Amino acid sequence: MKEIMEQLKPFIGLSTSQEVACDVVERGAVRRYAQAIMYEDEIFNVPCDRNAKFGGPVAPPLFATHMFRRPFGTSDPIQANANNPDFDGIVAATSSSGLPELTPLKGFALLNGGSEIEFFKYPNHGDTVSVVSKYHDITLRETSKGPMFFVVVESSYSNQKGELLIRTRRTQIRRR
Amino acid sequence: MTEKTERFFEDVQIGEELPVLEKGPLGTAHLMRWSAAMENWHKIHYDEKFAIEHDKLPGLLINGSLKQQFVMELLARWAGQKGWPWKASFQFRAMNLVGEKLRIWGRVVNKTEYPDYGVVEIELGILNDQDKESTPGKGMVALPYRNGKPLPYPFVPPVESVSAA
Repeated sequence: MKEIMEQLKPFIGLSTSQEVACDVVERGAVRRYAQAIMYEDEIFNVPCDRNAKFGGPVAPPLFATHMFRRPFGTSDPIQANANNPDFDGIVAATSSSGLPELTPLKGFALLNGGSEIEFFKYPNHGDTVSVVSKYHDITLRETSKGPMFFVVVESSYSNQKGELLIRTRRTQIRRR
Repeated sequence: MTEKTERFFEDVQIGEELPVLEKGPLGTAHLMRWSAAMENWHKIHYDEKFAIEHDKLPGLLINGSLKQQFVMELLARWAGQKGWPWKASFQFRAMNLVGEKLRIWGRVVNKTEYPDYGVVEIELGILNDQDKESTPGKGMVALPYRNGKPLPYPFVPPVESVSAA
């Protein structure tokens, strides 16, 4: 495992260029999202007194973090892995926001270890959202369940005006 | 809805408990709906055979990405119309399995005054039906003073605070 950790060290600090979400903040997508999290606040739906100070209808606080989906016409990872029994169903756009794959951890299971979230502004309907991410840290820890790698990815999400919407640090736990 | 509440910094007491947010019981339909909404298809949330045989898990897991939505909702509801759910941090220390009902809780543990507004620190977590804690963490909610000015929007953190929770 220490050998793998050595192979992972060059990844620490690597960042993406700015990636722009393939779709703007769409009202229908906001509705599906709000219903899925069972938080159907009127501020996510239509103009109202309570979202006037936000400039009209907005999306839930974490919506921007899930906007980086596969653009139309790009290769389909689900079809590409249709015969791969080890494919876990995770698509890169939502696991590490465009960062290079941690090849030394290929085949390791992935669990969500936790997050730090700093929230500044709601995304408005119609906003274009972009993100810059980096591998903030990667560590190897011995746990009661064996050695595990803790991968911390920091992502900063902004709107088309350059206003910071939200900053996250997600910890991914990778284990055999 | 509690979002219509107007909460001021002076009104908050250390030790005060936030209204518990209940979600579930969360079945496979909930998890599939969430997977579809965010367009991520991690099999451990809907493919039981994959979860158990491939990833050696005890069953289908409730998504951590869904649980963190509940944490933000707890803070946003409590912050009310004039406050701001500034920060949240939490660890997924234990798994929540499909079928569980979750209770998201919070308790005020500290208050800090800044020139333009106050910040309330909240201990929080997620309990299942068996009162097992899975997601311990903390939150920071900014609240205006009763006779103070409104919070800045977009939110501007207090000068002394630079980094994440």
